[in-house]
Amino acid sequence: MSELSQLFDTVNIGLVILDRDLKVKYWNRWMEYHSGIAAERIIGASLFAHFPSLNTRKFLRNCKSVLTFGNFSFFSQKLHHYLFPFRSDSSFESRFEFMQQSCALGPLRDESNTITALYLTVQDVTELASYEHRLLEMNMRDGLTGVYNRRFLEKRLAEEFDRHVRYARNFSVIMFDIDFFKKVNDTHGHQCGDFILKGVSGKIAAMIRKTDFLARYGGEEFCCLLPETDIAAATVLAERFRQTIAGMVHCYQKTEIIVTISLGVSGLSGQFPSSDVLLKRADDALYAAKGSGRNRVVALS
Amino acid sequence: MEQQVCHVTEDEKDILQEIMNIAFGKAAADLAEVINIFVVLNVPRIQVLKGAELSGYLREEISDFSDLSIIEQNFRGKFRGSAFLVFPSGAGKELVAMLDADHEETFESGTIDLLEKESLMEVGNILIGACVGKMSELLGDVVTYSPPKVVVENHPNEIIPNNLFNPEYTAIVMKTLFQFDDRNISGFLFLVTTHDSVAWLQQSLARFLEQYE
Repeated sequence: MSELSQLFDTVNIGLVILDRDLKVKYWNRWMEYHSGIAAERIIGASLFAHFPSLNTRKFLRNCKSVLTFGNFSFFSQKLHHYLFPFRSDSSFESRFEFMQQSCALGPLRDESNTITALYLTVQDVTELASYEHRLLEMNMRDGLTGVYNRRFLEKRLAEEFDRHVRYARNFSVIMFDIDFFKKVNDTHGHQCGDFILKGVSGKIAAMIRKTDFLARYGGEEFCCLLPETDIAAATVLAERFRQTIAGMVHCYQKTEIIVTISLGVSGLSGQFPSSDVLLKRADDALYAAKGSGRNRVVALS
Repeated sequence: MEQQVCHVTEDEKDILQEIMNIAFGKAAADLAEVINIFVVLNVPRIQVLKGAELSGYLREEISDFSDLSIIEQNFRGKFRGSAFLVFPSGAGKELVAMLDADHEETFESGTIDLLEKESLMEVGNILIGACVGKMSELLGDVVTYSPPKVVVENHPNEIIPNNLFNPEYTAIVMKTLFQFDDRNISGFLFLVTTHDSVAWLQQSLARFLEQYE
């Protein structure tokens, strides 16, 4: 027993035993350390007296089902993030305010197999969750410019399109690309080209609302989704993009470079059967802007 | 595991069916009383199959569904095997409403799917736990469970792998149709016992019968 209690106090996992009234019977050292509540202070008290946030229907339902059916319950980090609001263990963790936890509940029985208590295990999965976050971020962002990537754009476009059609809301799209970009690459090198891509996308990302989405569509082509925006307002914004970029001086290794962008705008106005068509229309508009001399905005409704 | 072929008699199947009836009745009563989940579990059907036939059988049984979600959970004890809870497409949304999740916070994009998945998992965990728990109780065993896994919205032909079971082994498959009383959700519960628990199951069935003789 003494070996077991040493083990329970040294494992890197939170262990709690609750009686049938959900009063704490056992609270291991890990729980003491992270909660700042000593075992002798919490033992005998209702868990909810110390952690009122646990007093939810879901938690109660799971406790009851463990105590009645003897099954196990799992609270994954994905949805719940944590059961116990503990500070993260690492000083370098900045993503999460609280330790991310994966928790499980299970039954404890006496000699006659009657369920007399339940146990709760708490595992710190903050690091894992943090990695997952980073992977998800990487999966939806363009590595060079940091704006959204094409995969994310397509998913988002379809979702936004459906929503705006359903509620008959305004929704516009701006497609733009950098004029004579190949010449920039050929004259100043691809590193300079990358520098310009970052400069242009960074500038435009700073000009849009939180609810808009800017994505790199391909090489030097970008796409901006504008929810709740009609084509007239989108065209005004596109014109502001054009002027801002045209007035921007990129300094790359002491060389000053100015680029311009051409923009195509399209907006939802009832006759679009799919998000692809809306995008295609913006692309056609962009093509028209290119064809009519570049550094300009063309809108096609 | 030495015997490759297990013979399960008609009598044994009848007793098993009776035990399932009792167990599921108790499970439903407790679910209603303890956690307000009202479920009707229909009379179970029992099949004794070769492992090799299992995938084909399951696919056939769920072929009415175009898309479905499956919750899988293994139970381990003397009574051991896998439980599969099969829901038709869209059940996740209904279950979220049924569980009336306490989540007041608004969810960012993608989290709704997660909520549905979690609800499927929670309901699966509870339903499987209740049914398997009551059955093993009647059979004189206590089982533990693996965490539930969930496969969401997939076509029946894609969801069931061919190598579900050792082809030589015997599987006892118990199938039940269930409905939630106050919701328009129904699905199937399959319990598949592993080969090595068949002999134990037969002994337990004999013991169960002795109580009444």
